[in-house]
Amino acid sequence: MALSKIDIENMVTGELTTTNGGTGATSFTTGISSASQWRLNTNFTGDAKPITSNWELNDTSGYGSLGSNMTESSGIFTFPSTGFWLITFHCTWYYSGDSRWVEATINTTTNNSSYTTATEGYHFIQQTESGNTYSSTSTQTVFDVTDTAQCKVRFGSRVNNDSTATSGSSSLQLTGVTFVRLGDT
Amino acid sequence: MADINTGRPNHIEDALVKIHSGQWFTWTDSKNKIYGNLRLTEKVGVDDNIVDNPVTELPTESAVNAKLKELQDAWDAANGG
Repeated sequence: MALSKIDIENMVTGELTTTNGGTGATSFTTGISSASQWRLNTNFTGDAKPITSNWELNDTSGYGSLGSNMTESSGIFTFPSTGFWLITFHCTWYYSGDSRWVEATINTTTNNSSYTTATEGYHFIQQTESGNTYSSTSTQTVFDVTDTAQCKVRFGSRVNNDSTATSGSSSLQLTGVTFVRLGDT
Repeated sequence: MADINTGRPNHIEDALVKIHSGQWFTWTDSKNKIYGNLRLTEKVGVDDNIVDNPVTELPTESAVNAKLKELQDAWDAANGG
């Protein structure tokens, strides 16, 4: 019978052979263990830095969280476990006119108090045709979460024109965050 | 929110965002955004600080509906309505 699959995690012990391209590895780390998405469910105009309300866990049909979810309170997100976390903030705006810039920010803290701007993403709105014109941008950071009680993250949206709206929805991801745990810290 | 294809305001949330800026309002049920589920937020984010919501009173339902009609009339006038 041809051998088609080896349960390498449970059946291999000791050091892997280095012949035939083996690595000699003696241990294995699991892959991504946590991933979840949150979103803004309500529009607002002007700035919100940080965005303190109207966050919800993605509940669109077909969505699934991997592992434990992030938790949120007043716009401050807490990680379910330590590790290196990839954080992607996607922000969508609309405005009936031109606006030189719109800004999405990720702010992190390692002492549950003072926040650092980890990343900023910018875009602009140049009205096409008439009425509301939409724009979006994404910005990312990798956060080394060494202590879930101290390492937190929050998000902000600023606009050059106060009539510009940050777009939220309770049915799809217009403005939202994706959290993926990449591995152990 | 406004019809994304036309931009015509079609929901009270379109009016609410024009009444005040910032995250001054929330919903008790985000899947059912009716006036009866409208609430003020306690806190808002301003310049990296979390402060009390400066808006302390909800607009009346009639004021919200009037604002929505104002926006719709303006959109209709600008689009040949």
